[in-house]
Amino acid sequence: MRQHQGIAAFTTMAMSAGVALALAWTSAAPALAAGGVLRARFNADIRSTDPGTNRDANTDGVMGHVVEGLVAFREDTSIGPMLAESWEISPDGKTYTFQLRKGVKFHNGAVMTADDVVWSFKRWLDPATQWRCLSEFSDSGITKIVGVEATDPQTVVIRLERPTALLLGTLARPDCGQTAILHRDSLTPDGKWREPVATGPFKLGEWKRGQYVDLIRFDDYVSRTEPRDGYTGAKKVEVDKVRVNIIPDSSAAKAGLLSGSLDIINSLSVPEVEELKSHTDVKLSITPALGLTGILLQSNDSLLKDVRIRRALALSLDTKEIADVVMQGTASANNSALPIGSPFHGAVEKQGYTQDIAQAKKLLAEAGYKGQPIKMIANKRYSFVFDSAVLVQAMAQAVGLKIDIEVLDWATQLDRYSKGDYQAMAFVYSARLDPSLSFEMLTGPKATQPRKVWDNPEAQEMLRQSMLTVDTAKRQALFDEMHRRFIADVPMIVLFNGSELAAHRNSVKGYAGWLYPQPRFWGVSLQ
Amino acid sequence: MFGYLVRRLAMTIPTLLLVAITVFALVRLIPGDPVQVMLGDSADPAQLEQLRRQMGLDQSIPVQFGYWLAKVAVGDFGHSITNGLAVLPLILERFQVSALIVLVAVTIAACVAVPAGLIAAWRQNSATDLAITAGATLLLSIPSFWLGLLLLLLFGLKLKWLPVIGYVPFSDNFGQALTFIVLPIATLAMIEIGALTRMSRASSIEVLRLEYVTHARAKGAPEWRVLGRHVLPNAFAPTWTLIGLILGHLLGGIAVIETVFTLPGLGRLLVDSIFARDYPVVQGCLLFTAVIYVVVNLIVDLCYPLFDPRVAAE
Repeated sequence: MRQHQGIAAFTTMAMSAGVALALAWTSAAPALAAGGVLRARFNADIRSTDPGTNRDANTDGVMGHVVEGLVAFREDTSIGPMLAESWEISPDGKTYTFQLRKGVKFHNGAVMTADDVVWSFKRWLDPATQWRCLSEFSDSGITKIVGVEATDPQTVVIRLERPTALLLGTLARPDCGQTAILHRDSLTPDGKWREPVATGPFKLGEWKRGQYVDLIRFDDYVSRTEPRDGYTGAKKVEVDKVRVNIIPDSSAAKAGLLSGSLDIINSLSVPEVEELKSHTDVKLSITPALGLTGILLQSNDSLLKDVRIRRALALSLDTKEIADVVMQGTASANNSALPIGSPFHGAVEKQGYTQDIAQAKKLLAEAGYKGQPIKMIANKRYSFVFDSAVLVQAMAQAVGLKIDIEVLDWATQLDRYSKGDYQAMAFVYSARLDPSLSFEMLTGPKATQPRKVWDNPEAQEMLRQSMLTVDTAKRQALFDEMHRRFIADVPMIVLFNGSELAAHRNSVKGYAGWLYPQPRFWGVSLQ
Repeated sequence: MFGYLVRRLAMTIPTLLLVAITVFALVRLIPGDPVQVMLGDSADPAQLEQLRRQMGLDQSIPVQFGYWLAKVAVGDFGHSITNGLAVLPLILERFQVSALIVLVAVTIAACVAVPAGLIAAWRQNSATDLAITAGATLLLSIPSFWLGLLLLLLFGLKLKWLPVIGYVPFSDNFGQALTFIVLPIATLAMIEIGALTRMSRASSIEVLRLEYVTHARAKGAPEWRVLGRHVLPNAFAPTWTLIGLILGHLLGGIAVIETVFTLPGLGRLLVDSIFARDYPVVQGCLLFTAVIYVVVNLIVDLCYPLFDPRVAAE
C-alpha cells in the first residue's frame, strides 16, 4: 500500500512539474520595454537614499540625479553655479556670499529659499547627521565653517575660520552628497532620514533592493540655461523614468544590452568594449576618467628605500605601451598625479619618465641590487590593475629587476594599502576632482598616515599652500614643483588615468560620459 | 517517531553551535576591513574609526561573538554592515528565490532522471543505455555557468523568447516571473539530471538482478508492471538519498547560476557579502545554510519508510 502511495505521489509530482514547465514555455515573452523608460545598469545596489552619509560610488551616482547643491563640478573639474546664481568671496577669503536662483522648486512643490539652505547646512554640520565630509570642516580639515546665515530670502552668507581654496570643491563633491540643499520633509518629525526631497531633475521612485532603483522625471524642475556641463548646466529630462537595474555580472549586462532589455550600460571593462565594437546596434562612449592607476613603491621597505632602485624601475617601463596594451587605446599614458583632463595638467605635468634601459641598469648596479625579489600586490577585481602589474613585471625583467606578483582580493589589498604593508602594489585611486586632493591622497607623513605613499615634508608644505590660495597661477606653480619632485622621488609610478567606458543602443540619443565615473541621464532621449 | 524527531533535532544544536563558532572565527580571519571597503581609498583614519565605533567593530572579537550569539539565540541575526538591513529578513527574502528554483529544478530533474535511469538499466548495454548514459555524463560534465550562458545566448539573444536579465517576484506578476526563472531552472535541472540518472541507473541495475524480479517475470507479469511495481520503488531509495544531498547542497547557494541570471538569491548574497566583508550577513547566511542542510537531511530520513517499508523509523 505504501508503495502505491509513493508511486502515486511521484506521478502527481511529475505531472505538476510538466505542467509548470509547459506554462513557463508558453508564457515566455520578453516584456520589459516601455515607452519613455530608459533602462540602465549599475553593478551593485545603492547603500541608501541618504546622500553624503550612508553611501558609496553607486549611491553617489544615483543621488546625483536627485539632489543638487549650491555649486557643482563642470566637465573640466572647475566649479560652476548650480542652485546658486553667483557668489562673492571677501578679500580675506573668509566670507562667501551666495545669491540663490529664484523659483527653484523642491520635489514637494515648495520653493527653495535661503532658509532651506541654512537648514540644510546646519543639518550637514550636525555630528548626528554623520556627514562623510564633516571631518573636512574640523580642526584637521580644510577649514571650519563658523556661521551660515540667510541675509534675505535669496542670499546666504557662509563664514569660515580661515581661508581655503577647497571650500567650493568640497561642497560640490559627489561623495559629500554635493552638500545638497534639502527640504525639511526629507526627515521624519523626529529627525530621522525619510527620503530625499530635493531639487534635482529626477525624483526618487521605487527602490527594490538588489533589483532596481527608479528615477522619475520631476515635471516642475527649473533647469539652468547654460548647456549641460558636468553636474551643472541644463538638466533637461527627456524620458519619463530611468530604471537603474542592479546587475552584478557584466556578461549578463552585456547580453541585456544586446537583446534590448537594457538601453545603456556603463563602467565597462576594456575587453568588453572590444567585444561590443562589432555590434552595429550598439554605440560606444569612451571618455577619459579621473582615476589613477599606477605602481606604489614602499619607501620604508629595506630594498625600495633606495631611490635608485625605484627610479630604475620607472626607467625600465614604457608607460605609453603599457597604457596602450592595457587600455586598448581608450586611455593615454600619464606619469603625473594630476589627471590628464584637469585644467592644471600643463606642460610640466606632461614631463614624465622616458624608458632608458641602460640608465636603469646603471642605477641598479650603483645601488648594488643583486636580484632580490620584489613582491608586488595586485588584484583581479580591476582587470586593468592586474594587466598593468603583469606588463610592469615583464618590462622590469629586462633590466634585471625581479618582481613577484601576489594577487589578493580587493578588500585584502585595501587593508594592506591602508596599513602601508607592502613592498610594491599595483593600485587604482578613485577620482579626485581637485588637484590639491590628487596630491593629498599621495603625500603625508607615513608615521601617522601609513596609507600615504609619498613622505616628503616639502611636498606636504606645498600641498598646504595650494589649499590656502584660490589664485590659479600660484596653484599651478605649486603643482608644477610638486610634480617635479614626485617624478624625482618615485614614490609611485603613475601609468594612466583610465577611461569611462559605456555602451548604449542606437535608440539612445544624447548620452555623454564625462571625467567623473558616473552616468548622467538628463539630456538623454529614446527614439 | 516523535521521540526520534526530538532526538534528531536536539542533536543539531551542538552542530549548529560548532558551525557558529567556526563561521565567526573564519570570517574574522580573512584579512580586510568592512569599513575600509565601504569608505574606499579616500577615507581618512578618523572616518574609519568613527564608522567602526558605530558598528561595534572596535570591540574585541570574543565580545563581538558573545554579543552576536546571544542575539542569534533569540532569532536576531543583526544588521548588514553594507546597507543596514536586518539580516534574517534579508536571508529569507533571498532564500525564497533560491529555494523556488532549486525545488522546481530538482523535481524536474528527478522526474526525468529516475525513469531515464530505469530505462537505461532495463536496456543495459543496448544503444538506448549508451545514449542515456552518454547524455547523463555530458550533462554532468558541463559547468553550470557555461550551460547557463549558452542558454542565455540561444533563448535570450538569438531567439529572443526569454528576457536575459532581471527578476520579477511571483507576487508581482506571475506570468512575467515565470519567464525569468525558466532558464535558471532549466540550467540547474539539466546539470542535476546527469548525476541523478547515473544513480538511478546504477541502483536499478542492482534491483533488476534480484530474484524477485525474475520471479515477477516468471509469473508472467508484463514488463511495465515489473519495472513500475517491483523495480522502481526499490531502486528509488538510493536516488532519494542523493536528491536529499543535492537539495541540501543547492539550497545553500547556487551562486554561480544566480550571478549568471542576475537573480537576487541567497548564493549571490553570500558571495557579495564576502567580498564586502559584511560579517553579519556572511555569518547569517552560513548559519542559515547549515540549518537548511540539517533540516533537509532530517526530512529525507523521515521520508525513507515511504519508499522502503523495511526502513521503519525507530
